Amino acid sequence: MSALPVTPSQTVGPFFHDCLLRADARCDTIVGDSGDAQIRVEGRVLDGDGAAVPDAVIEVWHAAGFARVGTDEDGRFSLTTVRPERAPYDRSTMQAPHLSVAVFARGLMNHLFTRIYFEDEPSTATDPILRHVPEARRATLVAKAGPDGSLTRRYRFDIVLQGEGETVFFDFTSPVR
Amino acid sequence: MITTIGEIVRGDAAVFPPYLYEAYRSTLRRAPRLPLVEVPLTASELTRPRLDVGRVTVEDADLTRNAGTGGEALGQRIIVTGRVMDENGLPAPGALLEVWQANAAGRYIHKRDDWPGPLDPNFLGIGRCLTNAEGEYRFLTVRPGAYPWGNHENAWRPAHIHFSVLAPSWSQRLVTQMYFPDDPLLSLDPILNAVPEGARARLVAAYAHDVTEPHWALGWRWDIVLAGPGATAFEAREQSAA
Repeated sequence: MSALPVTPSQTVGPFFHDCLLRADARCDTIVGDSGDAQIRVEGRVLDGDGAAVPDAVIEVWHAAGFARVGTDEDGRFSLTTVRPERAPYDRSTMQAPHLSVAVFARGLMNHLFTRIYFEDEPSTATDPILRHVPEARRATLVAKAGPDGSLTRRYRFDIVLQGEGETVFFDFTSPVR
Repeated sequence: MITTIGEIVRGDAAVFPPYLYEAYRSTLRRAPRLPLVEVPLTASELTRPRLDVGRVTVEDADLTRNAGTGGEALGQRIIVTGRVMDENGLPAPGALLEVWQANAAGRYIHKRDDWPGPLDPNFLGIGRCLTNAEGEYRFLTVRPGAYPWGNHENAWRPAHIHFSVLAPSWSQRLVTQMYFPDDPLLSLDPILNAVPEGARARLVAAYAHDVTEPHWALGWRWDIVLAGPGATAFEAREQSAA
């Protein structure tokens, strides 16, 4: 069968809030089946001038569920989730725990795919996807752990669209063999 | 129109627009400047996001009446329908489609849309539905109007409907816009023109007289083809490995 012509992407524009972030379309908590081991990820979305991006949508997906949140006037977002489990890479290798992320905004002609890893997770150092990332840029994909002590572990993860400290964004190729 | 076009593209550069497209000014400070990092697809990208789809109702797909006022939206009533499928023509059942659009006068209810086009109290301009087993979707709405924006002098966006498609796999996530043919604003629109020329027509719906309902509504057909392997490819591989 010959391949059909793929539909191109377009920006979400500025007027998506009433649709994508309506009360029952936004979701800032992934409960999962167990419901415990909650973590909270907080951050900002910044543009090439270091200015807040106040009209971005962040989607997060891992095996326990899906979340979608918007940024506020300061470019801030936050979400709570059960801690992600390790997912397989190939038949003999596991990936480090991570959250899959898509970023949408006015001015982004396509969404941006990235990942959130965790600095206090030992397997992050040997993750097979992170090995594809130039070493100097890997830190942009690793959330910084906040002070320990509360039931909900807090992490900080900023998304820099452009310029100094630009977050690594992915282009997916073909499935792992 | 001469514009600076960036080299960073996600996916096929003959299909997808570059992140930097100077004529669309909002890309200037938001487009990444470093190359995207190519990585293989894993279970994380080839799985279907678990959605709470129980909240999607039949009424959600009727934008002419879903404002909750009991009244009907003003404008030319239209049916927009089509199939969501992968590159091999396999349907994408159970995909969540979310749409948003301006009203017939070109005005969004959004608080930041403040040009003096009239609001319609019976029109929210938002809808959603799930594709059926054949990957088909269907919305009833009104034809949106063109609206002005601040991108450049006397800038107007052609009439369009925003589409968000979730499923069947994370890597196939798509947000795009559907346009109408013979709109004189299409050739002037930097957002549409950021798409490579050979792929632009794919964002334009076709009038479909077989969809048109007598004494009721005009029909438009627009199919959506998702790039890359779907969740079925991953499930098949897992089964063969088991």
